[in-house]
Amino acid sequence: MIEFKSVTKRYSNGAIGLQDASFTIEKGEFVFVVGPSGSGKSTLLKLILHEEVPTEGEVYVNGFSIHNMRRSEIPYLRRGLGVVFQDFRLLPNKTVYDNVAFAMQIVEAQPKEIRRQVPVALALVGLSKKAKAYPDQLSGGEQQRVSLARALVNNPSILLADEPTGNLDPAISREIMYLLDEINQRGTTVIVATHEKSLVDEMEKRVISLDYGRIVHDVQKGNYTNEA
Amino acid sequence: MKLRTIKYMIREGFSNTYKNLLMTLASLTMVISSLLIFGIFLLVTIILSFNLKQMEKQIAEVVIWLDKDIAPLQADDIELMLKNDERVLKCDRITKEQAFAELNEALEDPSLLEGYTPEFLSESFRLRMKDVAQIDEFTEEIRAVTGVEDIDFPKDFLDKLSLILKWINAGSMFILALLLIISVSIISNTIKLTVYARRKEIGIMKYIGATDWFIRWPFIIEGIIIGLVGAVVSFVITGYLYNALETYINSEAVISGMSLIRMLPLKDIGGQILFVYIIIGVVMGTVGSIISVRKHLNV
Repeated sequence: MIEFKSVTKRYSNGAIGLQDASFTIEKGEFVFVVGPSGSGKSTLLKLILHEEVPTEGEVYVNGFSIHNMRRSEIPYLRRGLGVVFQDFRLLPNKTVYDNVAFAMQIVEAQPKEIRRQVPVALALVGLSKKAKAYPDQLSGGEQQRVSLARALVNNPSILLADEPTGNLDPAISREIMYLLDEINQRGTTVIVATHEKSLVDEMEKRVISLDYGRIVHDVQKGNYTNEA
Repeated sequence: MKLRTIKYMIREGFSNTYKNLLMTLASLTMVISSLLIFGIFLLVTIILSFNLKQMEKQIAEVVIWLDKDIAPLQADDIELMLKNDERVLKCDRITKEQAFAELNEALEDPSLLEGYTPEFLSESFRLRMKDVAQIDEFTEEIRAVTGVEDIDFPKDFLDKLSLILKWINAGSMFILALLLIISVSIISNTIKLTVYARRKEIGIMKYIGATDWFIRWPFIIEGIIIGLVGAVVSFVITGYLYNALETYINSEAVISGMSLIRMLPLKDIGGQILFVYIIIGVVMGTVGSIISVRKHLNV
């Protein structure tokens, strides 16, 4: 499903994003990517999204070769990926419903399909009652749920979350993490880049730890520090 | 592309134009000022070359001299041939008697021609051409006709005039193209502000998997709307100014009894001006949008 083969990413300013990283993520896995700021977590996600391309090595995602693909293919790669960001990235001038429906309009879904799928996605994240609200009328946790619904509405096979709880307080963060777990139970591969030590330890998922762009640990049922 | 997608894009284009009213007005102002500068220059060029062409027509008299001893029947034949020639606008036959009378008048002293008869003069034709550009070709042909002695027309002057016209045309093309490029860059800068304000939206669309064209089209439609509205407004302003100028020049002409400049009636060139404005407005809007969005698509 996702395969990194000796991937190195050097930025044009000389900074190292990733160094000789190799790993495979199978369909249906739940993976935490952890490490200090600048350790390469975001680079890893950006490579999966083709926001960046590897300097060396090969990256395969859902059958696309990230290291060697045409620009025109990028939208189709991304349609198989759902993305959630720390800052939610909702459109402030659209309602919750429209924010989610927007994701389907972009991929030219049928209106009938949109009317059917959007409420399902909103129900999944527990926001059916807020469909008509605007993002600035919601709490941070609720906004992140909207962005989750938007990421899921097109039924992506992989969900990427870059610090999804970075702007949320601990109780809400926990809810979001367990929501991600629930989404994973339904068969979606979930990859979460995070700093949340306690939650990572509590959830006992696979953990890939990065430091200075290198993978220092890759452990099933791991914890944040992996000292075990 | 699917029909509902086209509908979606047109709707988005219109609603964005309206939602970003301030930016729309800013872009519109740029489009209108560019078109007005462009249009005034275009009109000056059109009127200038029209007037030069008029002048050319007035000057371009071709005089065909016949052999002094030509048989009257042969002269009749030549007259018929000239009058039937498609290129000839007007053909006056000047008989020997008329020429003699004219000469007499020109000399202002009848004693000078005493003892002469009209017979020493040649008969001639005075011609106006439909198209001055055909003079060279036409005169070459006529020179070969038996009975034609000589042909006169202000060749040097006409050559110079047509050279001036060519330069005016080339120069105005160059300046118009330059104006167009400047306008497009100014407008794309204005639209860039609109796009910048919506870069977040574009980024989100890219992450969700929108194609570049899906993102571009609403902006292009926005550009086209601004271009069209700008063209119509500019046309109305241009027409108003043109009419005012025409009235002024005509009233001046009445007072002074003559006019140096002849204006073309607006109804003759209005259609062309509107057409040019619309094309340029739409091109400016479209190209401006594409340029402005480009940078933000590389995510």
